[in-house]
Amino acid sequence: MSAIASGFIHPALGFFALALILPFLPGKAWKWLLLMPPVVAIWSVMTIDPGMYGQVSYLGQTLLLGRVDKLSLIFAQVFAVMSLIGMIYALHVEDKLQHIMACVYVGGAFGCTFAGDYLTLFIFWEFMSVGSTFLIWLARNPVSTKAGFRYFMYHTIGGLFLLIGLLMRYKAIGTFAFDHVEPTNMMLYDWMILLGFCVNAAVVPLHAWLPDAYPEGTVTGSVFMCAYTTKTAVYVLLRGFHGVEALAIAGTVMAVYGVLYACIENNARRILSYHIVSQVGYMVAGIGIGTAMTMNGAVAHAYAHILYKGLLFMGTGCLLYAAGTTKLDQLGGLVHRLPWVMVLYMVAALSISGMPLFNGFISKTMTIAGAAEAHRTWLAIGLEVAAVGTFLSVGIKLPYFAFWGKPANNTMKLKPIPLNMYVAMAIGAGLCIAQGLYPNMLYRYLPFAVEEMYQPWTTWHVLQALLLLGFSGLAFYITRDIITPHAKTNLDFDFFYRLIGRGALALVSKPLAWIDDRWTEAYRAVGLAGLLTLARGTVWFDTKGIDTVVDGSAYTVQNVGVLGAKVQSGRLQDYLGLAAALALGIFALVWYLA
Amino acid sequence: MSLFGMLLNALRARSGVIAILFFLGLTGLVLANVFLRPPEAEYVFDVYPGFWALFGLVGGLAMVIIMKKIIQPMISRGDAYYERNS
Repeated sequence: MSAIASGFIHPALGFFALALILPFLPGKAWKWLLLMPPVVAIWSVMTIDPGMYGQVSYLGQTLLLGRVDKLSLIFAQVFAVMSLIGMIYALHVEDKLQHIMACVYVGGAFGCTFAGDYLTLFIFWEFMSVGSTFLIWLARNPVSTKAGFRYFMYHTIGGLFLLIGLLMRYKAIGTFAFDHVEPTNMMLYDWMILLGFCVNAAVVPLHAWLPDAYPEGTVTGSVFMCAYTTKTAVYVLLRGFHGVEALAIAGTVMAVYGVLYACIENNARRILSYHIVSQVGYMVAGIGIGTAMTMNGAVAHAYAHILYKGLLFMGTGCLLYAAGTTKLDQLGGLVHRLPWVMVLYMVAALSISGMPLFNGFISKTMTIAGAAEAHRTWLAIGLEVAAVGTFLSVGIKLPYFAFWGKPANNTMKLKPIPLNMYVAMAIGAGLCIAQGLYPNMLYRYLPFAVEEMYQPWTTWHVLQALLLLGFSGLAFYITRDIITPHAKTNLDFDFFYRLIGRGALALVSKPLAWIDDRWTEAYRAVGLAGLLTLARGTVWFDTKGIDTVVDGSAYTVQNVGVLGAKVQSGRLQDYLGLAAALALGIFALVWYLA
Repeated sequence: MSLFGMLLNALRARSGVIAILFFLGLTGLVLANVFLRPPEAEYVFDVYPGFWALFGLVGGLAMVIIMKKIIQPMISRGDAYYERNS
């Protein structure tokens, strides 16, 4: 199967090729090869013309590997940029398996983005699932091992929903084509597919895998994971299910729910994970509302989010790398020792908060304004509430307790942070600021046609943002002693997942245990007695049959041997006599038989 | 410690001054809101000056107090409840 057709070099190709050859490359120079697939991907998505590419036959079906249009291109573009940033951030990592799995994961994301049919989508969807699971496991500690298993089990269930839906759909309409479904004509199979997508989009209450798994990934693996899984799901929701009302409501619930949990969490990477739920909520709400402006807002926010969320995870990754923990109750007072980490983190924190000058300002406000323009007032208010919570927890709480909070900490041992990690963060920060200052850098790629493009840089928008964020900051100032993080486990919906898991285990194991008990009894009563009788029979057969035959043969051989020894007397007359007797015997036998 | 780190430490030592500047900035924003209003009301009350300031303040206070004082005591368990890094 060829991924190159009519001049389109599929961006996934480089990542999968690198994953295949990396185990066989000796020395250290292979590290520079890590940058090749992202560079090729960026070149590919920036130069390719829209069209259909890479049609191949597989499993008796015709698969479309390269549906290139404005929607797939803008997602592929930011995926490519983020892959370059992520690879630079991971350049110091010696563990080849981490790079291989990152390549499988990113390659899968590109595969999903350009998939023209559900079968292709499903195949690459599963590549992503496997790759990301390894990015958790490769942290190589007991906690990450368990988290990885839970993550994989959950995504397998999500993948099964997708598979069931697409097979039911194929049976009903005879095609795997992946196109938009009219919200008013959705069938059961469409809902199954939507459910599968919602698992990856971390739609509440299907979201708890995310804050469970992402904080346990490797330092660099979580940077990749925060960019691709949920945003691939946002892309497929946009492609297939825009205008579904349930998504508008679910998205707003996500936006608020995520920030509420972020307020009370202690682990910095878990706070950021809840904020993925919240920020993806903006996108899902925009998709559900389904106007060109809210969908453009969803796309723009996905783009901006990938950049600033990657930067946030890189910042907290630096903390984990240097200090060995991201628990806020154990950090604090480190600003003078990690000043550039703090500054680069703050660029991302202000971006996610929607502060003017940063890219969140030009993307988040588009979705909210679009919701208000579509007269979805309560949804828009919900998204504004989420904006307040975002600034409180990621914009202020996290950096305050990680870097400032306590008196200057000169005793904590800090591992030096490699230069490549700073370089990657600086690139991410530069892009966040550049997009904030020049919105058209992003807006010109937006896929949905609007009469008039949204203008974020108006005096009122700036003032509104500053008022909202400034007074959210005042709320933090007043409650800074209350919001202080504590080392606690906050129960979420994964409590119910675990209950369901234990219930399913009991459902399976208890009947099995009962059958096992009955079988043991039956065996003891019938099987064991039968076996003893069989054993006795075997002993008798061994003694009377086998031994008789074997012993008899041995005695015969012995007697023949004794007789032979007696016959060999060494006297010639004995031998002549015996020969004459033998000849007479033979002659008599021949005579008799004739 | 780098020069930049020392500068940030110096800022820490002047948190009172920063707080005063912060309050002055907030006051300036509210004053600006008296003269600058949205072109049209999107949420009915947002045409009144101070609406978004109040929204941010009340929203933030409510969120922190409700979550930390009411919800978290109900849903939180020990650090090792799930054997994960909380």
